[in-house]
Amino acid sequence: MSDNGKEQITLTIDGREVTVDKGTTVLEAARSIGIDIPYFCWHPKLDSVGACRMCLVAIEKFPKPVVSCATDVMPGMVVRTDTDEIVKARRGVLEFLLLNHPLDCPTCDKGGECDLQDNVFSNGIDTSRQTFLRNRVIDEETKTTFDDKRIGPEIIRNMNRCVTCFKCVRFNKEIAGEFDLGVYQRGSSTVIDTPPGEPIDNLYSGNVVEICPVGALTNTDWRYKVRVWKTKQADSISSYDADGQNIKLYYDHRLIHRAMSRPNDDVDEGWICNIARYGYQYINSLDRITKPLIKKEGQQVEATWDEAIKLIAKRFKEIKDKKGSVCIAGLTGGNLSTETNYLFNKFFRHNLHSNSVDYRLENIDLKDGVETAAYNCLSAAPFKIADLEKADTILIFASNFIKDHPIVNLRLRKAHRKNGARVYTANPVVTKSADISVDELIYQPDTEAAFLIALIHAVIDHKLYKNIDESKAAEIKTVLKPASLSEAAGICGIDEARITELARALAAGENLYILAGEYLKASQHRHTIANGLFNLANLLGVDDDKAAILATHANSIGADRVGLRPNLSASLAETLASKWEAELPDSSGCSTSQIFKGALGEEIDSIFIMGANPAMRYPDGPFVNAALDKLDFLVVADLFETATTAKADVVLPLAGWSEQSGSYVNLEGRYQPFSKALPSKQGVKTGIEIIRSLAEAMEAPLGLDDKTLETETKEVVDSWKREPRAVDTFYDVKQSGVIDHGDFPYRLLIGNDLHHYGYLSEHCPSLMRFTSDVYLEMSPNLAEKLKIADGDLVRVESSTGKLVLKVRFSEYFEGEVLFIPNNFSSVEVNHLVSREGGGWVKIEKLDDK
Amino acid sequence: MEKVLFKYVEEPQQYLIDNYIKNGGYQALPKVLKDFTPDELIEEVKKSGVRGRGGAGFPAGLKWSFVPKTDVKPKYLCCNADESEPGTCKDRVLMECDPHMVIEGCIIAAFAIQAHHAFIYIRGEFAYPAFRMEEAVNEAYGKGYLGKNILGSGFDLDMIVHTGGGAYICGEETALLSSLEGDRGMSRIRPPFPAIEGLYSCPTVVNNVETLASIPHIINRGVDWYRTYGTEKSAGSKIFSLSGNVNRPGNYEVELGTPLSYVINELGGGIQTGHKLKAIIPGGSSTPLLMPDQIDTPLDYEAVAEAGSMLGSGAIIVIDERACMVWVAMKLINFYQHESCGKCTPCREGTLWLKRLINRIEHGEGKKGDIELILDICENIMGRTICPLGDAAVMPTESIIKHFRDEFEYHIEHKKCKVKTDYAFE
Amino acid sequence: MILNDATIKEITTRMERYPSRKSAILPALTYAYRQVGHLDAPVYKELSKIIDIPYVEIAEAASFYTMFPKKEVGRYLIQVCHNISCSLRGADNMLIYMQEKLGIKMGETTPDNLFTLISVECLGGCSAAPMMQVNQTFYEDLTREKIDKILADLSAEAEKDGK
Ligand SMILES: Cc1cc2nc3c(=O)[nH]c(=O)nc-3n(C[C@H](O)[C@H](O)[C@H](O)COP(=O)(O)O)c2cc1C
Ligand code: SF4
Ligand code: FES
Repeated sequence: MSDNGKEQITLTIDGREVTVDKGTTVLEAARSIGIDIPYFCWHPKLDSVGACRMCLVAIEKFPKPVVSCATDVMPGMVVRTDTDEIVKARRGVLEFLLLNHPLDCPTCDKGGECDLQDNVFSNGIDTSRQTFLRNRVIDEETKTTFDDKRIGPEIIRNMNRCVTCFKCVRFNKEIAGEFDLGVYQRGSSTVIDTPPGEPIDNLYSGNVVEICPVGALTNTDWRYKVRVWKTKQADSISSYDADGQNIKLYYDHRLIHRAMSRPNDDVDEGWICNIARYGYQYINSLDRITKPLIKKEGQQVEATWDEAIKLIAKRFKEIKDKKGSVCIAGLTGGNLSTETNYLFNKFFRHNLHSNSVDYRLENIDLKDGVETAAYNCLSAAPFKIADLEKADTILIFASNFIKDHPIVNLRLRKAHRKNGARVYTANPVVTKSADISVDELIYQPDTEAAFLIALIHAVIDHKLYKNIDESKAAEIKTVLKPASLSEAAGICGIDEARITELARALAAGENLYILAGEYLKASQHRHTIANGLFNLANLLGVDDDKAAILATHANSIGADRVGLRPNLSASLAETLASKWEAELPDSSGCSTSQIFKGALGEEIDSIFIMGANPAMRYPDGPFVNAALDKLDFLVVADLFETATTAKADVVLPLAGWSEQSGSYVNLEGRYQPFSKALPSKQGVKTGIEIIRSLAEAMEAPLGLDDKTLETETKEVVDSWKREPRAVDTFYDVKQSGVIDHGDFPYRLLIGNDLHHYGYLSEHCPSLMRFTSDVYLEMSPNLAEKLKIADGDLVRVESSTGKLVLKVRFSEYFEGEVLFIPNNFSSVEVNHLVSREGGGWVKIEKLDDK
Repeated sequence: MEKVLFKYVEEPQQYLIDNYIKNGGYQALPKVLKDFTPDELIEEVKKSGVRGRGGAGFPAGLKWSFVPKTDVKPKYLCCNADESEPGTCKDRVLMECDPHMVIEGCIIAAFAIQAHHAFIYIRGEFAYPAFRMEEAVNEAYGKGYLGKNILGSGFDLDMIVHTGGGAYICGEETALLSSLEGDRGMSRIRPPFPAIEGLYSCPTVVNNVETLASIPHIINRGVDWYRTYGTEKSAGSKIFSLSGNVNRPGNYEVELGTPLSYVINELGGGIQTGHKLKAIIPGGSSTPLLMPDQIDTPLDYEAVAEAGSMLGSGAIIVIDERACMVWVAMKLINFYQHESCGKCTPCREGTLWLKRLINRIEHGEGKKGDIELILDICENIMGRTICPLGDAAVMPTESIIKHFRDEFEYHIEHKKCKVKTDYAFE
Repeated sequence: MILNDATIKEITTRMERYPSRKSAILPALTYAYRQVGHLDAPVYKELSKIIDIPYVEIAEAASFYTMFPKKEVGRYLIQVCHNISCSLRGADNMLIYMQEKLGIKMGETTPDNLFTLISVECLGGCSAAPMMQVNQTFYEDLTREKIDKILADLSAEAEKDGK
């Protein structure tokens, strides 16, 4: 037995002894001691199919050569990878594969990183016995050989180059659970294609290009741009979601040319989503702001950096002198590096003496502005992505998982596929995860709390709880409102029996995970919901790291860890004070919504926003726009002109994430550094440079050089400690009945489109090829009821605004819920929702004319 | 020899359950359910020495015994009625004429491995045999031989007649399982063997129609009786499909070990009048040739192997002197190329290359060195593929070249046939 | 909808009998083919809804099996075996005869849309060669005379049905 508890097996490969875990394949065992067996169809993360026959080896006592990729090691096996027979077999396979391969390597984008090229170079022969036309694949309709065919928004297929390893289709079905690519015909006519008439456009589709060992599948993103050996590479991290996808950027002196995966088994296992893959493109955009703008007589005009910085310093000083520093607030966006956030924080707290900083820009804030203990605790759970695959029961709650957590979603699927984990989902809409769910429960919009209350009732009523006694259980029941399962179930609109069934299934789980996401975070009632979740986790005895509210933006956690929020824990305050060798201001800070409210009142006069676009993204458009308009002095640093920069007195061109080095902290709390890929675009400055020069202009330099900044930031991140979940604590959870929304009967959800995240992705042409415009998503049933057809124009109206949008049907929608993506600047979606009322709308079909 | 499987093949309505019962059918089943435990039954079948009639000749009892007994997963039985190997047309006769014999065999086999689902995978083109089987299955349900609690024994069995879609490869057991699961009929890598992980990843036995049809007789009349037919290692009787240039082609049941000459000359009425024997394919199109001087080879697994070929599915294709052997090789390779599933490289690409080469020789465009190239390609396919289809394509090709190389050389040199094939159609 | 109620009923009843829904793909393709006469994307889409299996899986499976024509064919699809056993009994010449007789080449359909002629691999009628299959029916031990009669009978049948 080894450390990991697996049985060990010793065998001999090419005369060398090797010991590996039972269940390892001969190919992997050989790789582990540096013997490279050539292959095409094998992939470490896919099930072996043994199709290409390239990896044949000779094993003593076996009558025929066997495929090493699908043969498990056995004790005492004697393997040879280099006998004459094997060499001949490999040559044979290569000769077969080359028979109809076009040999267009000079113009093939895979050139230089093609497995066929490499394998022929090291194992092939240099003469050809092929005397026929290279045209294995002939299109029946046109009688021509297959050349390039676009099979999806980003993918071109050249069937003649295909070596029929099926990796693309296997990835698509096995790993991603997507069905937009298949294998057709058979024998030598086998082709890889999408289902007739449909494109391959799933969120993970870029991976099929990456794992294609030859140039059969190429990306329009990369085609004919540059030869791979002329590029440089930088290790990076995706700047969108909080999963922390590891990527590698390929760039030359001018541009970034592509992003590929940088396999990290703890995080992504080498699979990245399309947003991570194509999302770098905004960096290359010609629409970037490259000169500071200063508002003069109501007009923003170009200015020099010097002018701009001086102006900001002067105005901050004036405001500070007049009303005290507390009335200057700072907001940062979700993809600023941890270092930038740290410096920004220091600038505000140390130089401006203001505690009014926040990074939580997209969720409706709460009345008191303070997150509760339960919410904080669950948001900081030490959840580990890789551990999820060992789960046997998983509840995904209040999250459209594929959109919120594209990579954790793949782990969820793996848990299901590899270990048969029983997945349950509870959401206001049907989600992609439904296909692997034992049961998918759809609750009425905004009844998350009622759902949890019902579930808790079921757990208590059926004595499914752990670690507490009956009297405690009875006591817990009294803090729930509604006070019975049937009432609570009635509010959330789910059958009591199904809730009880779910409670039983969760209680039966030996390795149970409960993961909650965006719908919860965006809810006005998130404290109540968090309380319920906290109670549930305690009742069911869920481990501390297995009940979590997952973070959303690339660096929300990083910003949080370095204290970019108004209220700091005592220990963090102490750490910062000691690092800065100064007292932190004792004034109370404002959270995002308090800042906006303060702006509408008299408390806040100036806001400095870096890398964020609340005018477009804050889910109460009228409110936030009024607040920004009212400010005395607004500074916005960003990459593009946005609805927010439009209101600014000074606009500063900001560098993108890849134009500097830095770090992100992903939703697990994993600190991941990334390197600089390109020098900043001419005229732009990094967040750090901006803050530094501002501090200098205000004659209070921050005194942190790059190196110190990096180490200090890391130390602060590392010093962060979490209070474990108090397992004997139970909170009150209440939800009142469903409110009647009168004239506005449909719940409107706003959020990310499948292929967009935040407001920068619309500057990525590849992503725009997947979704280029806003739409109103609804279920076919609701559409039928309203006599609306797919593609019709409708007017959507709420108490705060109205919009005209095109309807799109969604197989994932059920019931009377609507969705509009908030990634497109062309339409002010956030004007339809308000902090008090949430998003409730009515819709009306417009005549075509 | 008294006919066993074909005893009632001439009976006009033997396919009706009442006639089957009248002629002694459905007697083995009650006996099995009453007198045997599954283990005893497997033992009995092992002792009978009955071997798979689908091609490989694997002992049936032994195969059944591989199914794990303790496994909690469901077990499945698949009756392989894909019958697509050129020359083979025997299972079809059994299904058309005596379907209940097949069904009874399936029920007994299912009981032996404790399967509660049995599938009969019939090639899609066999619409009529499938119809007969379907009707017979319904009759069997009606009489309580299928369904819940069969004959009060507590044993349940559901039987489904499943038809294919035109793919020879689906006769290969792992491809059959893929196809039955609703996937493309592509072979899978072994191990795991179907007996351990087959249909829906559960233990599964795949047996040929004829293999299963033999079972009721073994039970009814005993192992000793069964063993009186055939040889020590090849017990029992077997149906041979005789086709090609004989006077009376047809399906003939003889005991294993019967000389090939008896089947061709006595039963088949000899080579088509006026013509001379040129070569014989003894076991279906995938088996190497036997030459005229080997016509007395006894038809059992061992003797045919010793003669350099294989008994295979028992499809004897007789070729007379009117055939150009390059043309024969072409017909065969065209078939295998058409039927390759496309999963593994040597089979997918190799059969296409062979097809192109052999066709070009046949069409008078052969080049010097083509024969050597063909043989080398054969070497690169043989033993390198997932399933034996690759081998099946290679064996007849190599064998034809071995025996008739001169015809290939003549073709290449003279750009035409040594013997111009011309079988008249009248 | 292309598939009629009877076909859908056949498919769904069959589907329920399998331990896994997906197994019903092949039977479903068969039923659909028998009703429609060929298979193509719109049919796959409908089947995908009926069986509740991704569209691509239906299309993939269908394309693997050569028995189902993927384009419209004549009322009678004549499939002549040209494999070894039939060829040894004159299948090649029979094919020539049939092309002459029908006035079409291999793979073509007669102008009246009655007959489509194709050659296929072994159909399991080897000891009754030469043979052919017309739609679902086997015709064996063929001679010129028999072929003439079969074609005449089929034409008459079609005429009777007013086609
Ligand atoms: C390419 C190929 C085609 C086959 N076709 C058939 C077939 O049509 N019918 C059959 O019974 N066995 C066929 N077999 C053999 C099966 O794989 C399997 O060995 C057999 O069904 C087992 O049954 P048995 O043990 O009763 O013979 C084929 C094998 C190969 C490699
Ligand atoms: S397209 Fe690429 S990945 Fe897909 S089967 Fe062909 S070679 Fe493999
Ligand atoms: S893998 Fe067996 S036919 Fe190709």
